[in-house]
Amino acid sequence: MFIDIQNMSFSYSNSPANAVEDFTLTINKGEIISILGRSGSGKSTILRLIAGLEMPKGGSFSLGDKTLFNNHIFVQPEKRGIGMVFQDYALFPHMSVQDNVLFGLPKMSRSNKLKRVEEVLELVELEGYEKRYPHQLSGGQQQRVALARAIAPQPELILLDEPFSNLDTELLVKIREDLRRILKKANITAIFVTHNQNDAHVLADRIVKIKDGVIDQVGRPCDLLGSSTDEKGDIELLPEKELVSV
Amino acid sequence: MNRRIANVNGWTIGAVLIITLLFVPNLSIVTGIFTPASENWGHIREFMLLNYIKSSLTLVFFTAIFTVAIGLSLAWLIAQYDFPLRNFMKWSLILPLSIPPFIGAYTYHGILNYTGIIQKTLRNHFDVSVNQAYFDIMNVPGAIFIYTIFLYPYVYMITRIFLSNQAASLVESARTLGKGPMEIFLKVIVPISRISVIGGVSLVILEVLNDYGVVKYFGIQTFSTAIFQTWFGLGDLDSSIKLAACLMGIVIFILVIEWILRGGKKYSFSSTKLRPLPLVKLTGKKAALATAYTLVIFTIAFLIPVLQLLDWVVLTFGKVPMEEVLTYTKNSIIVAGTAASLIIFFSLVIGNFSRITKHKFAKILPKLTVLGYSIPGAVIAVAVVTTFIAIDRYLAPVYLFLGLDSELVLSVSLVMLISAYIIRFFAIGYNSIESGYTKIGTDFRDASRMLGVSSLRTFFKIDIPMMKGAIISGFILTFVDILKEIPLTLILRPFNYDTLATKAFQYASDEKIMEASQASLLIVGVSAIAIFVFNKLLGEGRE
Ligand SMILES: Nc1ncnc2c1ncn2[C@@H]1O[C@H](COP(=O)(O)OP(=O)(O)OP(=O)(O)O)[C@@H](O)[C@H]1O
Ligand SMILES: [Mg+2]
Repeated sequence: MFIDIQNMSFSYSNSPANAVEDFTLTINKGEIISILGRSGSGKSTILRLIAGLEMPKGGSFSLGDKTLFNNHIFVQPEKRGIGMVFQDYALFPHMSVQDNVLFGLPKMSRSNKLKRVEEVLELVELEGYEKRYPHQLSGGQQQRVALARAIAPQPELILLDEPFSNLDTELLVKIREDLRRILKKANITAIFVTHNQNDAHVLADRIVKIKDGVIDQVGRPCDLLGSSTDEKGDIELLPEKELVSV
Repeated sequence: MNRRIANVNGWTIGAVLIITLLFVPNLSIVTGIFTPASENWGHIREFMLLNYIKSSLTLVFFTAIFTVAIGLSLAWLIAQYDFPLRNFMKWSLILPLSIPPFIGAYTYHGILNYTGIIQKTLRNHFDVSVNQAYFDIMNVPGAIFIYTIFLYPYVYMITRIFLSNQAASLVESARTLGKGPMEIFLKVIVPISRISVIGGVSLVILEVLNDYGVVKYFGIQTFSTAIFQTWFGLGDLDSSIKLAACLMGIVIFILVIEWILRGGKKYSFSSTKLRPLPLVKLTGKKAALATAYTLVIFTIAFLIPVLQLLDWVVLTFGKVPMEEVLTYTKNSIIVAGTAASLIIFFSLVIGNFSRITKHKFAKILPKLTVLGYSIPGAVIAVAVVTTFIAIDRYLAPVYLFLGLDSELVLSVSLVMLISAYIIRFFAIGYNSIESGYTKIGTDFRDASRMLGVSSLRTFFKIDIPMMKGAIISGFILTFVDILKEIPLTLILRPFNYDTLATKAFQYASDEKIMEASQASLLIVGVSAIAIFVFNKLLGEGRE
């Protein structure tokens, strides 16, 4: 398995209840996973744990052949080679679009760096916006810069927290398809969080439904279509492996 | 990286180290309580202690009452009513804070004494001689007057911001229930502003207990003066440590009372949906009265002393050699600049540690350092000297090895004074830096690290540039406070090292009031500009 997460649990220091409990998931290289759940169900927390921004109470996680955490090891976020698009973008306000994207690029020649910036901005259709500052962009444009910035260093895994929340319908459809194309073309593995069934079904190879910090269901979009525990009330928790056949 | 040490990084180590250094000297006061008492101490305890307590508490009590009366009434007037000169007064009523009480004290003494402008005018133009007793302010009521007019802005400022931001809906609903202005003031405004008034007045009280300049100049016996007198007059450091411990006891007592009165609540300006109070326009007699009241306060607390200082500066121009002025201005800038820079640097480290460490203790630990601001200068002076002498003793072999011919090296150097400043004023810089960190949050930092950038590089490339405003304002606020500082500077400076504040104080103490005016006016000018700019910036963000 390319990504192997086992029994990851976590609670915030100021509350005793587990925000995430026994999260277990394996992902293939190049797969696009969607984490679907209601507000407060723990979606962002799961991404932060994978990113290394929070330290899990227990469990293990490996990416490729590297163990990123278990009971003894904890790799700092900047050493993980994971990219992330934040729910509120977190574009650096004191840097132009170009500098934001340049910021995360690894050591290489200036001209190569600029070429890479050009490439990713083209990908998100923001050519010509290099010199703008974040506050001079619309919400959707900011989101695309955040995406470009995360993709630019060519991470092995990219995490996206509500990547479409600020786009109008037309742009949404386009970006959603573009994103899938971009990720597939670069063979980047991605986990994205959403509370929108539609996004999940269109973009994801596999959907993980979360409820109160616990995995509720896992399956391909076609398998999960229309089945929601919220309508049916309590459903027995299905161990992930039985459901998944990808 | 090992899981267990993943959270222990450079920031933790740096922060714990700095906090320890800031906090440890104060412990010497605690240990001082337990050293055996000297003969002096028996004498002090029997004959003097009660007097110190009585005069300190008298000063505190009356100053508190008067500052609340003036501060709250001004805050209410400005927050609720519109009258001629209101907008000018709104900012100007804060300006008296720029006059250090000891400068105000000698200025008013100079105005009122036999050779001062009032008596001279009466004598020369009206042929009236007055009873000197009516014009003597060098006593307890005089000190209360001085503290009140120069410290009320603390109450005014905090309460006014609170009232303008928070009171709108409450006042409006009271009005729709048919309540008159007086009733609204007593039944709505006074109770809801309780927390901010207590916040302001506790700052006033701490300032009064900290003050050395005014009481020393007026010859009033308080804890501050007693601590220094025991130390230098009697050469009895142990007894002065014991006095310092008593004073610390009073401070803790007051902080506890403050906490209880606030009901454990912190006065917070909840930032969501601030709605300014719509102003009621006053007309006719009422408007005139409101303008007159604010004008009288402003005149007494700022205009008169500043004009008098200006007058003296003009009169004595050239009497104090320019080189001397330049030297002590330079000294002031060097010590205040160094101390303020270090405070900001330490605050950045501790603030970042507190922000990124998820353990509870990282939130509590920095609070320890903030205590320094509650500790009176006299106490800190004692604590720092005790600590530095101990360090010098400990390092004596090193000095010998280095070929220095003195046993006291650190304790006679600027290092000691700057350390004391840092302990005393750390809270001012830290508050500014901490609120800067709170404002930017951790998202940008997280985003940077997700781009593979190290914690340290993130700090310099992301955090520092985004915190520019907080860093600059923190620096200037601490700088100005250090500029005005008196007891620590007088006691801990190296021999013959003068700053603007010590020079002004010395001239005044030697009854060379006019010569003191130049240094004083420089201090007042710099402080006034800083205070004005800050409140303007702060206010525009809010209103
Ligand atoms: N810093 C924090 N401290 C304490 N509790 C937190 C913190 N952040 C989140 N939580 C709690 O953890 C739970 C999961 O939060 P999380 O942000 O992961 O939800 P989410 O699924 O991303 O919601 P949304 O769709 O609204 O973004 C919530 O109950 C939330 O209140
Ligand atoms: Mg979220």
